[in-house]
Amino acid sequence: MPTALLLVCVAITIVPIAVVIVAPGITVSRGGRVLAFLVLFILPVTVGLFGMSEHIERSKQTSFCLSCHVMQPYGKSLYVDDPSYLPAAHFQNARIPRDHACYTCHTNYTIYGTLHDKLRGLKHAYKYYIGTPANPIKLYEPFNNRECLHCHLGARSFEQGAVHNADPETMLAIKNNKLSCVSSGCHEVVHNIPELDKVKYWKP
Amino acid sequence: MTQQDGTISKKLRIAGIFIILGLMVEGFSLLWNHPLSFLAFLCVGGIFLISGIVIYLLALISRTT
Repeated sequence: MPTALLLVCVAITIVPIAVVIVAPGITVSRGGRVLAFLVLFILPVTVGLFGMSEHIERSKQTSFCLSCHVMQPYGKSLYVDDPSYLPAAHFQNARIPRDHACYTCHTNYTIYGTLHDKLRGLKHAYKYYIGTPANPIKLYEPFNNRECLHCHLGARSFEQGAVHNADPETMLAIKNNKLSCVSSGCHEVVHNIPELDKVKYWKP
Repeated sequence: MTQQDGTISKKLRIAGIFIILGLMVEGFSLLWNHPLSFLAFLCVGGIFLISGIVIYLLALISRTT
């Protein structure tokens, strides 16, 4: 739902609540009780859920992730002028939506994914604003091939790639997440934050 | 107006004020795309909104009983 429409909904919800505050006596009649239930329960819950949905959608934006200072080097790594940098190659060649770059490859990181992940997101916010964020940042669990396969599965370059089919077990191991796509000797250069001072950058 | 009606009216007013405060915080949080606005939405707006709704529901129960 567009933000403007959501704000209009908020305003529309506030007006009848103000009426109930000014004249609570109207809730004595049956019609008044129905109105009170609508404006003090149904409408606020509905608007709250729409607002929550809007915030979750916004949190998928690259700019949202990079608004935290500790994430900025990861954003910078998207502009490295070196195709061996996996996120940079995907970002610069528009293989992923640029405005949802982080979320596309980290679908279960902090606020995304399950309720457990969302709680981790709140923990991150707490650590960022009140505690001390980890340095360097680490993933909670090894990068899951699922994040790559939701685009690459079925793609000719992946399915018929010479290295992927070097032996019959390799492809199976990749698809079962037994052999990581970002393991050493494969697509191992990812954000590579410690080296960011030594590389050239792409200027769009 | 009976004493019970007066109490319920007071609870409805308080509930309404809490819900309006919650909605206003939620509205303002939508104007800013930042993790802090999400936290404000959830922790400030959400708490006001839920408190208001709970007060209203309690008023509803007390009226019924």
